[in-house]
Amino acid sequence: MHIPLLYFNIFLALPRLTISRPTWPEANAGDIRSLQGLTRLTRDRSGKRGDPVDKYFHESTFHSHYDGRFAESVLPDTERRDALSSLLRTYLSTMSTIGAETWIMHGSLLGWWWNRKIMPWDSDVDVQVSETSIQFLASYYNMTVHHFNIPGPPGSEEQAGRNYLLEVNPHWKDGSTEDYLNVIDARWIDMSTGLFIDITALRRNKHAESNGLDGHMMCKDKHVYMAKDIFPLRDSVFEGSPVKVPYSYAQLLEEEYGKEALTATEFEGHVFVQQSMEWTPKKGKKAGS
Amino acid sequence: MSNHATAYDAHRPLIDLIPHDSLYVSDEEDGFYAREEDEFLIHPKWKAMLQQTSNRIPRRVQRYLAIYLVFATIAWIGWRSFIGPTYNEYRHEIALMDSTTTETFGANLRPEFKGIIQVKTMDKKHLPVKNKRLVVVGDVHGCKEELEALLEKVGFDVDNDHLILTGDIISKGPDSPGVVSLAQEIGASSVRGNHEDRTLLTIAEMETAHTPLPGPEENANRTDDSLDEESFSHGDYKVRKLAKQFSKKQIAWLRQCPVILRIGPVSGMGEVVVVHAGLVPDIPLEQQDPYQVMNMRTIDLKTRVPSENRDGTPWEKFWNHRQKKLPAAERVTVLYGHDRKRGQNIQKYSKGLDSGCVGGGHLTALVIDSRGKNKYVQVKCKKYVD
Repeated sequence: MHIPLLYFNIFLALPRLTISRPTWPEANAGDIRSLQGLTRLTRDRSGKRGDPVDKYFHESTFHSHYDGRFAESVLPDTERRDALSSLLRTYLSTMSTIGAETWIMHGSLLGWWWNRKIMPWDSDVDVQVSETSIQFLASYYNMTVHHFNIPGPPGSEEQAGRNYLLEVNPHWKDGSTEDYLNVIDARWIDMSTGLFIDITALRRNKHAESNGLDGHMMCKDKHVYMAKDIFPLRDSVFEGSPVKVPYSYAQLLEEEYGKEALTATEFEGHVFVQQSMEWTPKKGKKAGS
Repeated sequence: MSNHATAYDAHRPLIDLIPHDSLYVSDEEDGFYAREEDEFLIHPKWKAMLQQTSNRIPRRVQRYLAIYLVFATIAWIGWRSFIGPTYNEYRHEIALMDSTTTETFGANLRPEFKGIIQVKTMDKKHLPVKNKRLVVVGDVHGCKEELEALLEKVGFDVDNDHLILTGDIISKGPDSPGVVSLAQEIGASSVRGNHEDRTLLTIAEMETAHTPLPGPEENANRTDDSLDEESFSHGDYKVRKLAKQFSKKQIAWLRQCPVILRIGPVSGMGEVVVVHAGLVPDIPLEQQDPYQVMNMRTIDLKTRVPSENRDGTPWEKFWNHRQKKLPAAERVTVLYGHDRKRGQNIQKYSKGLDSGCVGGGHLTALVIDSRGKNKYVQVKCKKYVD
């Protein structure tokens, strides 16, 4: 009578025992397991499971501009803007200390053009680095964690400061646009919010060179540029930090976004106010909507 | 008998001698001849009247009428196919140039860069009063000999005259450092052209170590000659080579050249400003985008966005149009260079002075005397580049 009951108890307890054992779900183990101690999360929300095997960087399952290994959800608008600004400033300061050449492009360049700030509806920052710089970062700074005395989001464990991770895509060596799964060469990741900066390397356009064309440059994301439009870089300020800007900034912006992007003062539910030189939410409309 | 027969023959109608069946020769059908009296293209009565009238009009007048008609047709076709559309385009352009929209270029916070001076005002002592003159010279591009020849031709007097250069005084030609030294010696003013801009930025880049700091396994004393470094901006080799030719003093002089030089009021000309490429009307000098001021050629009239390509309206056309709309006291005359293709281009409120010296054209000087009289002096240049 007692023995069957004991067996029954053991039978009941077994599943609990297996649950309490610290395990990682097999399917998406790799990334998060290697980051033990660096992330406070136990569940990987990176989109790795749905991504092709050859893709190195994974965007989170909840938003493509967050790293699912470090975040569970998106940030509220104001917090995101502060976090993005810190992300950018820490990145620029780190690259400047290391001596790696970097400059802003795309949406960030447009934000810089309007008022030296990230546009309030932007959820990412776009930067490029030179080929020598990506090589240098890959050789000596891959997977380095950089600590900054910036208070983390309220209520988080990172009140004492924030950590940022520099991760280089091992596929950076493959400069071909056919490697479309790995167009991002490196990332600067806010380890407390999961926000990141996509870093792409500006390479010599071997294809154009083989056709006898000089001074052509390209990125793996298939953007092509003339070297003379990017270099020499200009020194300016972005989000209060020193920043490098491509030589023909005005021409690059017009080519990418059209003339209207340089004149339209209403965009994404925001109005550009001349007095304050700020993008402010339109009355009666939610910011960032 | 024979007489009778003859008599008989003489009385018989000849038609009787024709065989009966061969009389009908027309191959037309009967209906062909069956037209009734009132079925005419023009009624004979009318036809007669017309003829009467036209006979009364002299032949010569009729001829001229026909010629006028042909001319009128040609004029009408010409209007429809060419002149009309061109005229409409012109009117559309004028309407665009007159329009004021809220969303135009220049609403942003003006891009600002370390080491680039936006606006400077020329020292008042150089203003052309009494026997003083201003000598404004277009893109020199390192043609020192030609500049010296031009100064001699205008009878340049260092004590009384002031030389102003419209930028692009270096690069392409044979002696860029020589031109800078000459300008320095005679106390000239210059604005920053796109060639100065690129060269100075390259110099700044060469001064700061833009190659990464040595890695832990590398020799700390590693020196990279940025001139020979190929992987990075290798297309700039020429610029870096030029950059190395300048002395520290010359670089310092080039750096103090502003993007915009305000000359001040010149009698007979009003307010005068010097830039390298151009200005966007209705935007204060402090608000002008420095890249555009050094590079623009045209302006898109709809958005007022300037551009260095030639698709839009020439900026100086728009500039002159807008100045004429302003009260006389607010009008500004721009002296500039940059546009070698359009060459010397003199309009009321814009004076283009780049006449392609380095490519074998001319070096042009605008001499402004105290009465505001403008005189243009040129020297022929050797061909240094194509």
